[in-house]
Amino acid sequence: MNHYVWLIRREFWERRAIWVIPATISAALILVALFGRMQIINDVPLESPYVGKVYLGLTGALFITIMMLYSTLYLLDCLYDDRRDRSVLFWKSLPISDTDTVLSKLLVALFAIPLVSFVAADITSLIVAFIVSVRARSMIGGALWEGGAWLQIQGLWMYVIVTAAVWYLPVAGWCLIVSAWVKRAPMLWSILPLLVAHLIERFFIGTHYLAGVVGGRIDGYAAAAFNGGSRGSWNANDVATTAWQFMDISGFFTNPATWIGAAVGAAMVAAAIQIRMRRAEI
Amino acid sequence: MALIEARNLCKKYGSHVALDKVNVSIEAGRIVGLIGPNGAGKTTALRAMLGLTTYEGELRVLGREPFRERTALMNDACFIADVAVLPSWLRVDQAIDYVAGVHPRFRRDRASGFLAKAQITGKRRMRELSKGMKTQVHLALTMAIDAKLLVLDEPTLGLDILARRSFYDALVNDYMDETRTIVITTHQVEEVENLLTDAIFIDKGRIVLDLSLEDVAQRFCAVAVAPEKLAAARALKPFYERHALGKTVLYFEAVTREQLNEFGELHTPSIADLFVAKLSGDAS
Repeated sequence: MNHYVWLIRREFWERRAIWVIPATISAALILVALFGRMQIINDVPLESPYVGKVYLGLTGALFITIMMLYSTLYLLDCLYDDRRDRSVLFWKSLPISDTDTVLSKLLVALFAIPLVSFVAADITSLIVAFIVSVRARSMIGGALWEGGAWLQIQGLWMYVIVTAAVWYLPVAGWCLIVSAWVKRAPMLWSILPLLVAHLIERFFIGTHYLAGVVGGRIDGYAAAAFNGGSRGSWNANDVATTAWQFMDISGFFTNPATWIGAAVGAAMVAAAIQIRMRRAEI
Repeated sequence: MALIEARNLCKKYGSHVALDKVNVSIEAGRIVGLIGPNGAGKTTALRAMLGLTTYEGELRVLGREPFRERTALMNDACFIADVAVLPSWLRVDQAIDYVAGVHPRFRRDRASGFLAKAQITGKRRMRELSKGMKTQVHLALTMAIDAKLLVLDEPTLGLDILARRSFYDALVNDYMDETRTIVITTHQVEEVENLLTDAIFIDKGRIVLDLSLEDVAQRFCAVAVAPEKLAAARALKPFYERHALGKTVLYFEAVTREQLNEFGELHTPSIADLFVAKLSGDAS
């Protein structure tokens, strides 16, 4: 197990964007809080207990959205870059199995990166809340300081990390296959086969089955993991009202789509490992 | 049992046959040169031995099946495949930390000592180092591993003569002892000639010659023959001949020196000579 620590550290050495991107977002928000113009929008009832939660929820959503996009790019590059620069020949000269290599990258994409984004969101929201509360003391008072909301939101983050990891496993598995396989342009190859298959299906069979499955997986997470998401509308106000009740734990884990997706994802990860074993440099 | 044992080793890429029924046996404690022109199958053979590629036939390295057991094999074997494969973003100290973290037989003090000698400091990234320095870093990492088998694939390609010399000096002086075995591929025979104990010539996926250097003098003989004696000498069936300074140099295998003495001055061919002789001889 100990070598997983090194495998994951290795990823943080190579992919400095994992902390540079959150640090940049954080710096930008803090600068806005410091020097931006304070303006109270009349519609927002500042005395409502939701303000603190909305604020925390939005900050976290901003970080996790950007970092999940980064995670996808990371997965597409992680088994491709070292083949392109031939450093795979160095990594493979060490007693680390291809299974451990691939799983360590999966762990970074599904757990480490989201964890970094939420920690960054927490630190940022505390700093920004402090600045705003001091600067606009007369207007909002302590509305952004709510210990209970802060704790609830931490629980929500953990729930998001676990459920998103399960839900997006097939997407991650697909990215790993492409990354381990292609000789160039992994981003293009991640989309092209699906697009071609979709067009063939549409013109020769006349159905949209593939598009439905892929699209449903990519934008169906909120609906699967949260109550109220089934309406298709999901906004931070809902998160804020009752973060705990909002999590659809039993619904998510009893949904067949969750487990079919996870099984397909696990198969794809296994396939990526097999491809990785057989491919050295490009 | 031999350290490396290949029987009927084959590898095809589509219709191209990279290895064609290769039989090789390499004993412990040897320095073996796998010598052949570009595209001869050297690298494919090494990739198979290191578990980097699938193959057909039987292959055992340190008693293991390389492709199935690569991870375990890499505890006892290490390799430098090509120069400059350390990634550009990696820092020297990170490289040491990482290998120390994942390799049970890595000795950090040896790596650090070697790098200090080469005057390479830890905070530098690979992209800032010259090709020669990068090779020194890779060699330092590899030599600090207590491995039974070291495999080098064209380790000095693209290096200048100074860097090459220091690479091989370090290898021979600081690394090699009777417990280790080294396999080197190269297409530059002259460079490794003095290092080797054995040479295996490979061409078009086949083993052309496999011999121990101690046997060269016994097995092979070259003689520069004056034109008037040429016909008589040719009767002894040289496997290769070349013209030099008005005489013809004939290369013989398994012909005694007593038989050849009368034709002219005898000498033992160098590995480079044999390489040229064997490969162009087969081509004609």
